[in-house]
Amino acid sequence: MTERKTRAGSQAVFHEKRTYRRRRVMDAARLAPVLALILWSVPLIWPQSGDGTVSSATALIYIFAVWAGIIVLTWGLSQVLSDRAQRHTGSETGTDT
Amino acid sequence: MSTLNILIAVCAAYVCFLFLVAFVADRLALQGKKAWLRSPLIYTLSLSIYCTAWTFYGAVGSAARNGFEYLTIYLGPTLVMVSWWWLLRKLIRIGRTQKITSIADLISSRYGKSSLLAAGVTILAVIGTTPYIALQLQSVTLSFSVFAAQENGAMPRSQADLALWLSLGLALFTVLFGTRNLDAKERHDGVVMAIAVEAVVKLVALLSVGIFVVWGVSGGIGNALSEIDASDFGHWHADRSRWAGLIFLSAAAFLCLPRTFQVLVVENDDENHLRTASWAFPLYLCLISLFVVPIAVVGMNVMPDGSNPDLYVLTVPLALGENGLAMLSFLGGFSSATSMVIVAAIALSTMVSNHIVMPIWLRLRPSGASVSGDVRAAVLMARRISIVGVVMLGYLYFRLSSGGEALASIGLVAFCGLAQVLPAMLGGMFWRGATRLGAFAGLTIGFVTWLYTLYLPSFGVGTILPASVIETGLFGLTWLRPDALFGITGMDQLMHALLWSMLFNTSAFLFVSLVTFPSPLERLQAAQFVNIFDHSASARSWSGGGAQAEDLMVMAQRILGAREAQALFASHARKQGVGGDLPDPTPNFLEVLERELGSSVGAATAHAMVGQITGGMAVSVEDLMAVADETAQMLEYSARLKEQSEELSRTALELRNANQKLTRLSIQKDAFLSQISHELRTPMTSIRAFSEILRDTDEMEPKDQSRYASIIHDEAQRLTRLLDDLLDLSVVENGQVNLNLRDGTLRDALDRAVASAGIGEDGTKFEISRDLEKENIVLHTDLDRLSQVFINLIANARKYCDAKAPRLAIRVMQEADRVVIDFQDNGTGIAPEAVDMIFEKFARVSDQKAGGAGLGLAICRQVMTRLGGSVDYVPALRGANFRVVLPYRTALAAQ
Repeated sequence: MTERKTRAGSQAVFHEKRTYRRRRVMDAARLAPVLALILWSVPLIWPQSGDGTVSSATALIYIFAVWAGIIVLTWGLSQVLSDRAQRHTGSETGTDT
Repeated sequence: MSTLNILIAVCAAYVCFLFLVAFVADRLALQGKKAWLRSPLIYTLSLSIYCTAWTFYGAVGSAARNGFEYLTIYLGPTLVMVSWWWLLRKLIRIGRTQKITSIADLISSRYGKSSLLAAGVTILAVIGTTPYIALQLQSVTLSFSVFAAQENGAMPRSQADLALWLSLGLALFTVLFGTRNLDAKERHDGVVMAIAVEAVVKLVALLSVGIFVVWGVSGGIGNALSEIDASDFGHWHADRSRWAGLIFLSAAAFLCLPRTFQVLVVENDDENHLRTASWAFPLYLCLISLFVVPIAVVGMNVMPDGSNPDLYVLTVPLALGENGLAMLSFLGGFSSATSMVIVAAIALSTMVSNHIVMPIWLRLRPSGASVSGDVRAAVLMARRISIVGVVMLGYLYFRLSSGGEALASIGLVAFCGLAQVLPAMLGGMFWRGATRLGAFAGLTIGFVTWLYTLYLPSFGVGTILPASVIETGLFGLTWLRPDALFGITGMDQLMHALLWSMLFNTSAFLFVSLVTFPSPLERLQAAQFVNIFDHSASARSWSGGGAQAEDLMVMAQRILGAREAQALFASHARKQGVGGDLPDPTPNFLEVLERELGSSVGAATAHAMVGQITGGMAVSVEDLMAVADETAQMLEYSARLKEQSEELSRTALELRNANQKLTRLSIQKDAFLSQISHELRTPMTSIRAFSEILRDTDEMEPKDQSRYASIIHDEAQRLTRLLDDLLDLSVVENGQVNLNLRDGTLRDALDRAVASAGIGEDGTKFEISRDLEKENIVLHTDLDRLSQVFINLIANARKYCDAKAPRLAIRVMQEADRVVIDFQDNGTGIAPEAVDMIFEKFARVSDQKAGGAGLGLAICRQVMTRLGGSVDYVPALRGANFRVVLPYRTALAAQ
């Protein structure tokens, strides 16, 4: 399909707007775990002792808030990348930008 | 009835319920009602196999001991699930298209179907999983003992007995529902359904305890949070290296654990389910871990000092008098333990039977895998034995470790061991340059490092590794101390092992991959794996059974023939009780169809064709190779047939030609006989007539007398010549001729021939052109015979050349090893159909021109053969061209 052609033959530089959007959503889906990892790594820089230590309740709320956020984000992305989107792109591999 | 007895009754009822669920699910699956069984929800719930009893009880214990560290165990898998788009989708697509049955199969398949690699991963998995199974048994016996202690302080049976019965029950369940059928896709509907139910039980139990603790004991969220702050948790503190390391470790384990791989990849029915699971499973994990800290805090507050925090989930409700809740909690823990053991046993048994037992069995059997049914039964048996073996191994481990504290930490140790598969797995999926040797090197080094730095020390000092090794290192080398490789001390033991094993593993994998060269099969598989989205068709290309059956029908008709295919389909439709002529594409029917097709096109081709239509699965390289093999065999066979038929037709043509020649010869022989009898009779008649005149006439003029006598003489001479010719031919033919070899020039021979044959009796002008210079070649041969040949050729030219001004060109060419003399006239030449006849005896080009007896050229050929040369008719542009070839040994240049 279009993707396959793009890969095999001449590289199309510009895509129509919908295709472009869809690719950015795919990019977002790829980046989501990185975001989650960064947010969950934040506790690593929290001070362990002395002033400015984070209370356990706050820590707990932070981690679970990130968790909830990432679940909602993944849910949203998975909805956009639904059957419809997959049908249009065929088998997605898109290494292009 | 005592609590313990109720507990046992509830437990039994629950187990019966699970059996029922699995049984019903299997039945439904057999009837083809898979839509509900294989929903995204069930898939998501089945993933909860990751959360074992170690999670269920241990998370609270871990929180009570180490604070927030327990969260990492859930954050890792959440990250993996969130990476579904670039990671899991690819993994599952690979699993589906390559018909992957286990993680060992995945690795082996990627690296050129290496059986050594598969066996290695299998052994690693067994070593890593056995303690884990023991851990589940321990958790169940421990939770039993909690109730027993509350009752009267003593267990009705010993813990070991309980664990034994539990293992036997689990083994039975797994054998019953895990080895029902030997589906190529290795899906177990009953088991998956039971696991999904258990997942719900786990979640509900933990949530119930959590809600009870937060709202029932603490009195609301705000209070619970302030209680947390007031507790030992206090402020955020976590070992930073462990926080990062454990997130990585749990993520790796989620991908590599045999049981999670089983449900995540092998049992996956539809890629689209992943879309739901990508957010739903993180939600599940989030909910599972939500109340862990509150439960731990309340546990620390409520329970007396010294009580086991691992059992807070159970003991807190019991201590607060909530027996029903405790029962539910117990069931949750029981569910976690049983589902883990069941799936782990299935996954491991698949690996053990496929990659260890079957290869050995096939090798031991003298005849090999010739009968398919035989092997099938053997595989099933091997799998059943493996299941029992794996579960019993877990039991044995439990007994040997005597349920000590060491077991509690074994979860992470096992994670670390199985994570060794990760580099080979991810490298295989995303890097085409990964090679079998690289994977093998990485796995081996990682495995050995893990074994030495973590697994063996985990048994305790002095059990397997002697204390001296721990203290002073292997062979007394301090830099080889298992807890401080290269002298780097002060690290957490788990992190130390994880760091070094993964570092060595990955480096070895990368380095060896870079310097080795993969086999062709490996390279093909690498391309297949890495570019899976290019190669595999979209997984859902067929909807509904009708379309499949129709497509199968079309294909079958093409191969089997319309009537046979229709009969086959109709009979199966009747057997299945389906209306119409199209049966449902059940495994049974597909098997029969494949066999039928296989008899026409070869087994591998048939399998690939049916697979293409029904499974939407890509054809694996092995399939392709088998197909190519079959095709090559067929091609070779047909090529042989073609060759034979060509040879036959060639022979037939030769025979036909020979027959035609014989017929022509026979006709010419008849003609010759009549000719020769005529030729003989004509002079005979005149001889008789004139001799009668001489006898009967008394008075005769001497002039007449002498005239008659000369006529008689002439005729007798003519007869003699004819008979001489015949005799000459037979002599030459029989090889009785004596050659009178002497030296002379070709020119002399030609001169003589032209002199005797060049001028016709009737004096017709016949022009002969020669190049006398070139004829100056000294020959050592029978010159008389050679002249005879030349005379014959010149006489023929004179006789048969039909040009108005007949001309004969005699050309001599001297070549390296022979002398060629061409006699070319300017007539119409010899008709092509007569060419192959002219050198035969009695052959004459035309009947009209009364020539000799048709022996001249036959004699010429015989003579030339005797002289070691040849005479041939060479088709020329115009006129007849005879070519005489003399070998060089009889021809010596005059110069």
